[in-house]
Amino acid sequence: MARRSNAEHAYVVAYDISDPKRWRRVFKTMKGYGRWLQLSVFHCRLDGGRRAEMASMLEDLIDRDTDHVIILDLGPAEDVELAVESLGKSFQPIERRAVVI
Amino acid sequence: MSPSDTRSDPPAGSTPGDDVAKPSRPAARQGELALFAPPAATDEMLVPARMVNEWTYCPRLAVLEWGRGEWAGNADTAAGRRAHKATETGAAPALPEPEALPDDRTLKTRRLLLASERLGLTAELDVIEADDGCVVPVDIKTGKRPHVAEGAYLPERVQVCVQALLLREAGYVCDEGALWFADSRERVRVELTDELIATALRAASDLRLTVASGRLPPPLDHSPKCVRCSLLPICLPDEVNWFRKGAIARTPPPAATPALPLYVQTPGARVTKKDFALVVQVEGEADRAVPLDEVSELVLAGPVSLTTPAVHELLRRDVPVAWMSSGFWYLGSTGPQGPRSAAVRTAQYAFAADEARRLVFARELVAAKIRNSRTILRRNWRGEDGERGPLLDRLALLADRTARAETAAALLGIEGEAAALYFRALPKLFTEGVAALPAFAFERRNRRPPADPVNACLSLLYAVLTRTFASAISVAGLDPWKGVYHVERPGRPALALDLIEPFRPVLADSAVLMALNNGELAPDDFVSAAGGCNLKPKARRALIAAYERRLDQETTHPAFGYQVSMRRLIQIQARLFARFVSGEIPRYPHYVPR
Repeated sequence: MARRSNAEHAYVVAYDISDPKRWRRVFKTMKGYGRWLQLSVFHCRLDGGRRAEMASMLEDLIDRDTDHVIILDLGPAEDVELAVESLGKSFQPIERRAVVI
Repeated sequence: MSPSDTRSDPPAGSTPGDDVAKPSRPAARQGELALFAPPAATDEMLVPARMVNEWTYCPRLAVLEWGRGEWAGNADTAAGRRAHKATETGAAPALPEPEALPDDRTLKTRRLLLASERLGLTAELDVIEADDGCVVPVDIKTGKRPHVAEGAYLPERVQVCVQALLLREAGYVCDEGALWFADSRERVRVELTDELIATALRAASDLRLTVASGRLPPPLDHSPKCVRCSLLPICLPDEVNWFRKGAIARTPPPAATPALPLYVQTPGARVTKKDFALVVQVEGEADRAVPLDEVSELVLAGPVSLTTPAVHELLRRDVPVAWMSSGFWYLGSTGPQGPRSAAVRTAQYAFAADEARRLVFARELVAAKIRNSRTILRRNWRGEDGERGPLLDRLALLADRTARAETAAALLGIEGEAAALYFRALPKLFTEGVAALPAFAFERRNRRPPADPVNACLSLLYAVLTRTFASAISVAGLDPWKGVYHVERPGRPALALDLIEPFRPVLADSAVLMALNNGELAPDDFVSAAGGCNLKPKARRALIAAYERRLDQETTHPAFGYQVSMRRLIQIQARLFARFVSGEIPRYPHYVPR
């Protein structure tokens, strides 16, 4: 069972979806929870509530027999220094800051 | 177990005193009359089983949720919803009439609503199993089964008990209930003892009477239950108890959500909804998508458009939309904000009608404002040392003099005198580089329109600060348009203007200083026209961003002693003000940092 903390954690969500229609739905849903990193990989910063909501949304979308989603918890978003080596493009942790457009 | 014919219910239609004599009722303890609330009248709300659970857990929680329309979610409530999903999908055959209940096979159904006016109770049943002529309500709980003698904690057992009583009321035979703990996948049998039934009925009755009396029960005292309660940021148990016992508050309550405001102020920008995100389109720029969950408030300034689907989605999510003019004058907000109850507003109007209480509050408010402006001068002073001491002394003297102000007019005089002193000294806080620029010369505060860049920056951030408070105030159930110290005028959010007074120097002025001294704003970031001065779009963005950064900085709460971000502090202060006008705490602790 996923840990249930109200603090914000950083996550990597990766998925393999066998059906293009479901894949598209999962992709759209994930855009509401994080930043698109690579094909089928998202980087998220979520509190416990949103994490549970995301998991239950995905649970409804996928076919348990043929699809696979993994949610990797990278630790507290504020404190953890992510040891990321990014080759090619650059990787930036998600900062929490108000958007002014 | 007793069969269903020996039901213990409050008597129908009888006077509350009668039921003591009923043989089926477990004997009340000596010296205590079991007085139950009378049966619910037709227009009265029925007590939901879940609220009986919450009353047993914490009376204040139940009254806040059921009586005051407050709600907040957290990781546990989200996990609970996820665990309940199993009951929302799949076949849900109708539950046959009691006589037609099959006695030879097992029937399972879900999501059943039951109500009884005689009991004054209602319940939503997760799963009902029928077997051998008996029915068993099963309630789904997230988490693991607790290892206690009764199999589960009292609040959960009471909730199942209410469900069972409603099934009995509907004519079914129900001898036991059950709890299903989703995480450990364990089922716990709930025995319907007379004692449990009496506890459940008493809890429901107490809740109904307390809500009817309009009284908010005191918070639990340093209870371990509070730590994970989703209503913690609304209830503020430690903060309220601080006034009663002087006990040190534990950690600051978490923010309701970690979401942040989204500002759109570029003229001609368009905000639309796409899937689960808000997309901001600005001509000549790439679209920006912000996940809807990450937006606590949408702030639109000037000619910016918002599509109807986006408005609908924001309304559905309880995210307010603040409408502001291009000069950031707060026009109002769209959206359901705050609790679905007028209890706090009613108390606020009563408070505002009491001249004496208003004056006492206004005195402390002005004193806090003067002390805070003094603190800003003291901390950031870059002028000559000789001038500093006498100036700080004069401000301290003025702050003390507020306590003797007899009228609001006298208070206004003191406030004006202090403001003149403070603003005259403001240029002494600029770095040499900034002070040398003629564009950033500042002599006195002016507005409508601000005549120079520094005044333009101050005006902008005061307007943004007003909006921040107007939202926090509405979320706390207060009316931003009804003030205490500021006179009401149409279109003037008087309460927001009241409560921002002590925060003007610490949030707005210090953010302006930060932006100027860091070189984030340059003289060519401003345009002057028709005697007024304005920020160019890029500068406005930079200044608002500096203000939002300031809100994320941590501070020590002067009364409660914990570290808290300014953003959360504002929410806490708004809640405390609501508690203060309701008379729950004797005074409002102003934010006066050292």
